[in-house]
Amino acid sequence: MKKLWFSLQSKYAPYVFVAPFVIIFIIFTLYPLLKSLFLSFYITNGPKAQSFVGLDNFIFLFDDPTFHRAIWNTVIYAICSLCVQLPLSLGLALLLNSRFLKARNFFRFSFFSPHLVGQVFVAVLFSVIFMPKFGLLNRILHVSIGTAIDTKWLGNPELVMPALVMTSLWMYVGFNMIYFLAALQSVDRELYDAAQVDGAGPINQFRHVTLPSIQSVAVFVGVLTTIGSFQLFELPYVMLGNTSGPDNAGLTVVMYLFQNGFISGDLGYASAIGWTLTMGVLLISFLQMRLTGAGKYKH
Amino acid sequence: MDGKKFLFSPSPFGKAPLIILLLTLISFGYLSLNPAKDSEATLRLWTFASNHLEPYEKAVPSFESNHPGVDIDVQLVHGDAVNSRLRAAFWADLDVPDLVEIEISRAGSFFRGPSEYIGFIDLSPILKRTGYYDRIVENRFAPYTNRGKIYGLPHDVHPVVLAYRRDLFENLGINVESIATWDDFIRIGKKVTIPGERYLIELSDNSAMHFEIFLFQRDGGYFDNHGDLIMDNEVALETLLFFIPMVAGPNRIGSDLGAYRLFTQAVEQGYFLSFLCPDWRSKVAESDIPRMSGKMALMPLPAVVPGSRRTSTMGGTMLGITKACPDPELAWKVAEHMYFDTDQLGERFRDTNILPPLKEAWSHPAFDESRDYWSGQKLGRIYADLADDVPPQFASPLIEMAKSKMASVISICSSYYRMNGEKGFEDFARSTLRAAGNDVRRYIDRNPF
Repeated sequence: MKKLWFSLQSKYAPYVFVAPFVIIFIIFTLYPLLKSLFLSFYITNGPKAQSFVGLDNFIFLFDDPTFHRAIWNTVIYAICSLCVQLPLSLGLALLLNSRFLKARNFFRFSFFSPHLVGQVFVAVLFSVIFMPKFGLLNRILHVSIGTAIDTKWLGNPELVMPALVMTSLWMYVGFNMIYFLAALQSVDRELYDAAQVDGAGPINQFRHVTLPSIQSVAVFVGVLTTIGSFQLFELPYVMLGNTSGPDNAGLTVVMYLFQNGFISGDLGYASAIGWTLTMGVLLISFLQMRLTGAGKYKH
Repeated sequence: MDGKKFLFSPSPFGKAPLIILLLTLISFGYLSLNPAKDSEATLRLWTFASNHLEPYEKAVPSFESNHPGVDIDVQLVHGDAVNSRLRAAFWADLDVPDLVEIEISRAGSFFRGPSEYIGFIDLSPILKRTGYYDRIVENRFAPYTNRGKIYGLPHDVHPVVLAYRRDLFENLGINVESIATWDDFIRIGKKVTIPGERYLIELSDNSAMHFEIFLFQRDGGYFDNHGDLIMDNEVALETLLFFIPMVAGPNRIGSDLGAYRLFTQAVEQGYFLSFLCPDWRSKVAESDIPRMSGKMALMPLPAVVPGSRRTSTMGGTMLGITKACPDPELAWKVAEHMYFDTDQLGERFRDTNILPPLKEAWSHPAFDESRDYWSGQKLGRIYADLADDVPPQFASPLIEMAKSKMASVISICSSYYRMNGEKGFEDFARSTLRAAGNDVRRYIDRNPF
């Protein structure tokens, strides 16, 4: 009996252990994924009223100027995130990795702490900072460089994206810095010693020792940032008062998906947007990994 | 290993997983034994507006005492939640309230799809049978009417007047009696506006919120009474050409700061000398800018041309009875009690400043009371006198999209006008408006329902 019990245990235990995850995954991830793929071929008004349209949702999508605007905004945000956020994160990490800096732990925590509060909180905070006439940013800029005190950061189509990028910098630079810091701390000191012996200065050390050593982490952070950028929703949604901003300047792909699915009620079109976004992110991530040679690098 | 040994022997993962498991089982057991109770109320009413909640709660006891055994539960639900939860509940046949209030710009989206899937009861038969249809400002049914059926009772009329800083107007020598048309108003605005410091009026250059007040005043709109898109017709173009120079370019007389708290400070500091003021906003001013008491006054909107309409409309709420309601007759009685009791409406007006659409209610003394805040003016009478002239707003399931596109048009045209002034502006405005209209038409054309 005991033997049979042990034999059953060893045979079925793995399935029992993974079962909770698998069940939840099937119900809340796999089924909705497949259902959304199915829905993307329909025009819907909620789940009851559906009309099969084949690929029409996708064809309509590629000719939809609002979707183009959402893609453009999202890509701009992603590029800014990659080109501004990551170098800043790496720069901060390099500074905080320095042995000569005092109170390093205090600075590390300070730079990381914005990430501890949620996006909604940050969005509310920055919408106050960006207020025209009475906002902190306008006051500072007005006093220091004489810009108009009633500049509408969130009401001017040209300023909405810079405002979003500034907000995301405050929130994510410290977070990504932690990844870079961990990578920098794992770089073998002997490599620097060897480089110094070979006559390499700080720039060459950074170029030929630091960068190759943290490449895999940099690619990982890059891919993560890109995916995060393409999923942008809460920040503009709250900062722009549940709208997509003036002239849709703050409209992101996920916001557009939300508007179509949950405000207009066309779950089919929203699904088509979702699948297009997924394919786009997969493609970009794949290209990023190929171009940066991720996976090939070996320590 | 016996059971006791198994349970209390050291685990390779420590005691934490065991404690988590125990807590999970205890929670699961507790929740299973104590399921959330369904509301025991006979009828539930959802409202999204906190200033509606209190009057309704005051009205409930008298209804319940006249209907023994009936229990009415009035719930305050956030506007966004009303939108998403109610829609999801309609779709999935889940628990929905018996009566629900919906904001005017969102009402149209509930009328999308085949009529049989619209979650509200058609109220037109009972409105006509009871005679209320003829006793209510007719234009207020327009936003809640779809394919000839009325799905909502109008809660309000929301005429728009101009609220102004009486003290500052007097200091600047502005005589409101001399302002008959918008052209008069703009002429004065050009004299008193100091860019960045003082504007004659609060007007947005990046949303359609204020623009549509001008559009409705000129009998324009987003959709006509047949549901056809008219947001890019000649009236809309004329309104746009008139509106943009007021908010952009060197001669602008209007600006906006967005959020309410900014608005409050801006009025106090004299940054805005006046603002467009539907009835509900007059209460917002009273409660949010109390220091302006006695310094504010109201006047009818300037007319587009001499002798034409001197009001418009902004905002609104409907009350619908859901098809899931087990007792629609009782729900109608609740609606009648909340919306058509003239004594209650008079009292409610004192609390909210919202003009009810039931015309006979306007003879209540509350509407003829002088208000200190508004320099002793009879606020109720000012609004009531304009109520019959309030233009209709026709809705469509795509109304939110049309409004969003119009907001983009305002924003784009303002940018163009700031950069180029009048040069090529009319053609640019026409093509931008037409493009926005065509975008909405593309959605209309692919609607299979």
